[in-house]
Amino acid sequence: MLRIKDLEAGYDELNVLKGIDLEVKAGEIVALIGPNGAGKSTVIKSVYDLATVTGGSINFKGKDITGIKTHELLELGINFVTQGRVVFGELQVKENLEIGGDLIKDRDIVEKKLGAVYAKFPALKEKENTLAYTLSGGQRQQLALGRALMNDPSLLLLDEPSLGLSPKLQKELFKTIKDLKKDGISILIVEQNAKKAIEIADRTYLLENGSVALTGGKEIVKHKVIKSVYLGG
Amino acid sequence: MAIIGQLFVNGLIAGSIYALVASGFSLIYATNRFLHLAHGTTVAVGAYLLFALFSVLGIPFFVSALVAIILTGLFGLLMNRAIYSPLRKRKASNIVLLIASLALLSLTENIIMLIAGPGVKSIGWLPTKTGIHIGGAIITPLQIAIIVISVVLMILLYLFMKKTKLGRDMRAVADNKELASIAGINPIRISDYSFMIGSAIAGVAGILIGLEQNLFPTMGVMLIIKGFTGAVIGGMTSVPGAVVGSYIVGVIENLGILWLPSGYKDAIAFALLFVFILWKPTGLFGFNKGVKDA
Ligand SMILES: Nc1ncnc2c1ncn2[C@@H]1O[C@H](COP(=O)(O)OP(=O)(O)OP(=O)(O)O)[C@@H](O)[C@H]1O
Ligand SMILES: [Mg+2]
Repeated sequence: MLRIKDLEAGYDELNVLKGIDLEVKAGEIVALIGPNGAGKSTVIKSVYDLATVTGGSINFKGKDITGIKTHELLELGINFVTQGRVVFGELQVKENLEIGGDLIKDRDIVEKKLGAVYAKFPALKEKENTLAYTLSGGQRQQLALGRALMNDPSLLLLDEPSLGLSPKLQKELFKTIKDLKKDGISILIVEQNAKKAIEIADRTYLLENGSVALTGGKEIVKHKVIKSVYLGG
Repeated sequence: MAIIGQLFVNGLIAGSIYALVASGFSLIYATNRFLHLAHGTTVAVGAYLLFALFSVLGIPFFVSALVAIILTGLFGLLMNRAIYSPLRKRKASNIVLLIASLALLSLTENIIMLIAGPGVKSIGWLPTKTGIHIGGAIITPLQIAIIVISVVLMILLYLFMKKTKLGRDMRAVADNKELASIAGINPIRISDYSFMIGSAIAGVAGILIGLEQNLFPTMGVMLIIKGFTGAVIGGMTSVPGAVVGSYIVGVIENLGILWLPSGYKDAIAFALLFVFILWKPTGLFGFNKGVKDA
């Protein structure tokens, strides 16, 4: 599905990623963990043409996508839910979702997708005509995910979707993500909560200083580096 | 008392023109985030195009007006494509873009001067009509038309922004440009449309001013100062705010004549501009509704 090879990337003069290899196979959840500033977001931003790629390659479904413009990636079926500001606060909830479904020409299908998102996240249905800045943090994450789902993505890039959510909401979110996997969507997720990430992921990459320090399946939770640094001993 | 009524009416007429200038200016600012001060001469371009088509070439008035509006919109698009877009592609800072807009302002004025000459021109479509008395104030049919056209156009612009896909995409880009492109919106397309629509509205302003007053090549400078002030009062990125702000400018500068000699009219707008920039830079409507961390 997504195959990143020897990726070097950064911003203007700053070199962040120093040769990253990473793969997301069809139907997999892959987690990316690591300390602040390690370059986790930069990996996703490189895929989405928001960081400057200076070396290596990014392939999606066998096609090189480096240099494809940000607004054109949606058409390929790759959707990105950013870290931090995730919704259009000045737009209605419904408008936020409709933007996600803009590539679908048939209005009936758009309505059906809207219905499916509202079924998944009933709180959004209740607030469909209010401006999105009035939503709670958890509802904003739901809205951002909902917008991404409107387009029937085959690959979802999620950058710290649990940021700022209560433990209860985090739990709900991780359940939603597992459900998305069951629907056949491949997911690359950046996550602060290493334990939770390793638990839901098929494979996990530990990023440190712009390089992959460690990679493996669920068993990596027992690795001493992960245990001592990321799981607090 | 009658004088206050008259000054208020004069303020509404001026405010209507400023609102047309400010709405396009703030639409362009909201989606592009730099000060397109050359928007002032876009108004002059509209007025001079009408002069060329109608007064010089003798094309029927309404055809001339329509063509002038369309060409003014395309002039805006040309400025964006030829000057601003290449600069932004090279990651020019907002200061560079501001300087470019001042250069464009001056360049356009000089081109108008070269073609049409430095002297004043008049469109000469309507004979000066005697005004109608409304509660002690006198207003001409043309002035009523200015207010009505401006209000109708602002309502149409509002509906366009709220009800159409393109309007929604413009609001999305104004809200968060990076997120908009992540959501599949092409920001360059939105930038082009905002220049085209904003400039076409400036063209309408140019036509209305051209019917009411004489044309001169530098007529856009004072207008953009008024429009800019209106936009600042309205919070810069809110088009309805810019419209309300413009009426405030128009009414206050006209009522100010009660206390100040009429020569100070323009100074009042400047004073308002400084008051807002210093003490209320977010404007009356630009309050931050928690969007920053949304
Ligand atoms: N837009 C940008 N322009 C310049 N430098 C940036 C930009 N975004 C990130 N950086 C820098 O790149 C480095 C890696 O940042 P990145 O956002 O990828 O880290 P991260 O692993 O996602 O961290 P966090 O857990 O805090 O989100 C940091 O040093 C950061 O300061
Ligand atoms: Mg990050």
